[in-house]
Amino acid sequence: MSAAPALDAAAAARPRTLTLAEGVALNLRATRARAFVRVVGSMREPSWFFSDGVLPNLGMAAYVLLYRALHAGPAFETLAVVGGILSTYWINVLWGMGAQFYWEKQQGQLALLVAAPCSRMSILTGMAVGGAVGTVFRSAFGVVVGVWLLHVRFHITAPGTLLGIFVLTLLALYALGMTLSSVFLLFGREAWHISNAVQQPVTFVSGLYFPLRTLGPIAGLLAGLVPLGMGVDALRQVLLGAAARGLMPVRTEAILLALLTVAFLVAARFALEWMETLSKREGRLTQRWQ
Amino acid sequence: MTALAARLRAATWLGWQVESNWVDPFLFVVYSGVQPLAGAMILAGMYWAVRGHAVGAPAFAALYVGNAFHVYVQQVLVGMGWVIVEEREEFETLKYVVASPVGLLVYLSGRASVRLVLATVSMLLTLAVGWWLVGVRWEWAAVQWLPLFVTWAIGLVAVVNLGFLVAGFALLLPRVAINLNESLVVALYLLCGVIFPIDLLPRVLQGLALLLPFTWWYEALRRFLLGHGASTRLAAVSDLQLLAALALTTLAFTLVARRGFRALELRARRLGRIDQTTNF
Repeated sequence: MSAAPALDAAAAARPRTLTLAEGVALNLRATRARAFVRVVGSMREPSWFFSDGVLPNLGMAAYVLLYRALHAGPAFETLAVVGGILSTYWINVLWGMGAQFYWEKQQGQLALLVAAPCSRMSILTGMAVGGAVGTVFRSAFGVVVGVWLLHVRFHITAPGTLLGIFVLTLLALYALGMTLSSVFLLFGREAWHISNAVQQPVTFVSGLYFPLRTLGPIAGLLAGLVPLGMGVDALRQVLLGAAARGLMPVRTEAILLALLTVAFLVAARFALEWMETLSKREGRLTQRWQ
Repeated sequence: MTALAARLRAATWLGWQVESNWVDPFLFVVYSGVQPLAGAMILAGMYWAVRGHAVGAPAFAALYVGNAFHVYVQQVLVGMGWVIVEEREEFETLKYVVASPVGLLVYLSGRASVRLVLATVSMLLTLAVGWWLVGVRWEWAAVQWLPLFVTWAIGLVAVVNLGFLVAGFALLLPRVAINLNESLVVALYLLCGVIFPIDLLPRVLQGLALLLPFTWWYEALRRFLLGHGASTRLAAVSDLQLLAALALTTLAFTLVARRGFRALELRARRLGRIDQTTNF
């Protein structure tokens, strides 16, 4: 007699399945919210501007002066400035995306993100969009250092192509960041150490401060691993032409960057699902100080 | 003296455990060497790119050697500031260190010793890669071993004392201290002519660079190892004058750093910053 009302109450308490439109709206709101926090947070904490914007650009200044000491010529100085600008994005992808879930775990927020009704991919997308927007100001500092302090010259003849390649590079790079973020979900302190360990080696294999072709025939393979190398090579070719000593034609690099974006997004989706399940099963979502 | 040695040993052992217990020792050494090696390879890549139509191997060798020894500054400075923030805010154990008989200065010395050993491994690895892969060579018979060793040792004194000063500021500052340490490392990279001669700096900055022991350190290391320096301005300075300038600036630096650390530690205690957490 009393079983029917109890079942009704249980059914009423169960969350209603969202329609497609409602699901899309929810995930877009989550993306916007996460991006908003990322942008506002990066503005509110001036020390981040220092570590993500000023420091890589000071390093870039040292490399420009090294080329000057070696009498390498102005094209090499321009090449180093372009690398320095992209390095701010690389640092943001590594620390602001890859290691982000580790910080969230340390602060006890990761469990809340997992419990939220939206897709985790929408949160990652928000992080990526917010990170890319926030880093624009930091990379602008690189341009200021390069042009005004070091007097490095830029001759932009194809601004549309330059912008297109730049956006493609960022898409591929932040898609990689989403994949890293998922993979790092499983790690404890190692996430911090891994980010620390790969930062400089990737800067080297991507040829951020020298033409990628210098590394010889293996350069293409190495560049293919991280979109940073392909992006910086294409940007330099658009800016400097033959003086950039490009690895492949710009069009080929653009296609490869687009393919990498798709591949990393798919990889991020699967990695996130797998890592989340594994973390839940092994009880790592709320672990700290490990 | 025996008690001090025991405290220092305990602090060093603890430092090693904290730094390395997340991975096995071999992997840890590899991990510690990867960053400086990659940094050296970036320089090598830049040199390979311009080889043939730019300055020759000796000039590059001088810059490469400067970069190899800069790993001490990087490891110790970043490490010392990081120790304070990590102990205070991640593990929340700094207050126990301060209250323990070991004391903060001895504890920091122990932690710095671990960093110095790791930096030595990285430096040797970088020089070995330079020798075999990049072609940075020197005449073994022409190396001035005694002055080189004395220079190296004096430089380490300067590095560790700057580390104390950095740790002192980290006691007062919030989490931002980590970023400031890294900025100091990069600033010294630029200012002391690690990978380019200080002659390329504006005149005012050259004057500032000459007040720092590290500028003399890098130049002396190059001269005693390779037989030549990098800077035209410092080329007129004799070996003895170079060593004297290094010793003098290091002494001044040490005095300032020690007094500074004491004052900063006292201020941090007065303001109650020893157990602050700023993880916002």
